[in-house]
Amino acid sequence: MKKRRNPNALKIALFLAPVLVLFAAFFAYPFVFTIAASLTKWRGIGAMRFIGFGNFGKLLGDQTFRLAIRNNVVWALASGFVQVPLAVLVALILAREPRGWKVLRTVYFLPNVISTVALAMVWTAMYNPQYGALNGLRELLGLEARNWLGDPATALPAVILQGVLYIGYFMIIILAAAMNIPRELYEAAEIDGATTLQQEFRITLPMLRGSIVTAMTLAMAYGMRHFEATYLMTGGGPAYSTTTMGIDLFLKMDALRYSEASAAGVILIVLGTVVIVGIRRLLGRTDPMAEAGQ
Amino acid sequence: MRAKNKALSLGAGLLKWTVLLFFLAVALLPLAWLVLNSFKTNLELQASPFSLPARPAFENYANAIAMAELPRLFVNSVLVAVGTVFLNLLVSSMAGFVLAREAWKGRDTVRTVLEAGVLVPIIAFMVPYFTLVTKLGLYDKLYTLILVYAAINIPVSIFLVTSFMRSIPKELEEAAIIDGCGFFQRYSKVILPLSRSGLVTAGTFCFIYAWNEFVMAMLLTSSIHSRTIQLGIRFFTSQFITDYAGMFAAIVLSMLPSVLAYVFLHNKIIAGLTAGAVKG
Repeated sequence: MKKRRNPNALKIALFLAPVLVLFAAFFAYPFVFTIAASLTKWRGIGAMRFIGFGNFGKLLGDQTFRLAIRNNVVWALASGFVQVPLAVLVALILAREPRGWKVLRTVYFLPNVISTVALAMVWTAMYNPQYGALNGLRELLGLEARNWLGDPATALPAVILQGVLYIGYFMIIILAAAMNIPRELYEAAEIDGATTLQQEFRITLPMLRGSIVTAMTLAMAYGMRHFEATYLMTGGGPAYSTTTMGIDLFLKMDALRYSEASAAGVILIVLGTVVIVGIRRLLGRTDPMAEAGQ
Repeated sequence: MRAKNKALSLGAGLLKWTVLLFFLAVALLPLAWLVLNSFKTNLELQASPFSLPARPAFENYANAIAMAELPRLFVNSVLVAVGTVFLNLLVSSMAGFVLAREAWKGRDTVRTVLEAGVLVPIIAFMVPYFTLVTKLGLYDKLYTLILVYAAINIPVSIFLVTSFMRSIPKELEEAAIIDGCGFFQRYSKVILPLSRSGLVTAGTFCFIYAWNEFVMAMLLTSSIHSRTIQLGIRFFTSQFITDYAGMFAAIVLSMLPSVLAYVFLHNKIIAGLTAGAVKG
């Protein structure tokens, strides 16, 4: 199909220009720059000196960075296999429109519009050994107070728990898809004597496959890039037990180790892409953009 | 048989509501605890995490406003958020217009590339963002945050705005062309007004993002003149670390704008999320 040259070509270019300039500056350029800088020795000033893959060898041999990768994988697994299934469970319940479901849907999403800074400070306070609500509960049960975020044994689970319990975002995506399933399917199943549970397993879940794969893909991709809540709650500690690739990148940058920080960025992007491509290969091809609304 | 079914459905109902109430508690209790604590004195905070205040300690809010130039940071955040919404909607609506309403070669590719930006982990770009901004002399400027936030929100806004503009019937535009509307008037007089609903959705996402953003603000600003409220509650309250009650009050104040935006516009937000995989 050959398209005729649009007579408005110049005006079209004019209208596209601002977005393209911003996209080039804040998406395309940083992408190319990060890859280039990762192959050099560079401390932010002076010229970059090409050294090949040395930064990557150094990073992958570094105990802390390997721990960071492991923690990101734990985040990704917890997000994909705990957070999303919980979101699916709630979405299936809400899709049957119980009393007050619209209000519940709105309230479940509320934490998503509150800043990570505020939520992290609230959860840090809740985990606080002196006046925190969780230890208050433990004391009511006659248990000893614990320093949840200060103990390497409990810090990572504590940070992940507050993350995966906020299901609002994935719940809304899946609920929207569930409510798009034709009602006739359920009516027919009802006539055939299928119980609610059978209907969910035989109709809803298979029909939602695409949306659930999309949600898992996004959740795991977010897990691989997790940074903010942990940085705010523990700074990656204690003893690096909660560190992530993003935190390591930030700390390296703060120490002016720009080229190593860039290499961490490349690894973060590559592993994130591996997760996205891998899940879609494993669970079936779906287009996250097209799928979510269906 | 009938009694068994009844018991079963009663059990299922109980289970169902346990799940729903549990997640209701997860969403609301930490916030309720925060608000409760913001009205207690520091002495009451030490005594018990669950006790009710003897009387609401409004002075916590007065202290929060007096501390650490919080009002200045609040105003900075308002300027950044409003500026981000304006800049992002301006450029996204222009690009959305030609992506949705004009036929040209390479259009679908451009749209796909722009939208694929949502999959990019921005935190991997801390080094280039910092060096680019410093090199351009934009470090520690309020408008830098506007520029960066507007850019980061392009993929989401292009997706929402272009989808919306594509759904506008062709006839409305054709009528305008017959009336003598040119390219620019079709954008400003026809498509833009008809896209209001889609623009409000995209704008709400931008506002909430810009109000809540922390990492880039920490990275790209350093002085009170350009820092935002998120940095304020993170860093400036630590000067008064013994005043936990005042800190809680400051956090409550920092949450108000995005919570209010959500209260009034939650239908738009949910519609936007439903339209596509958009990070909220």
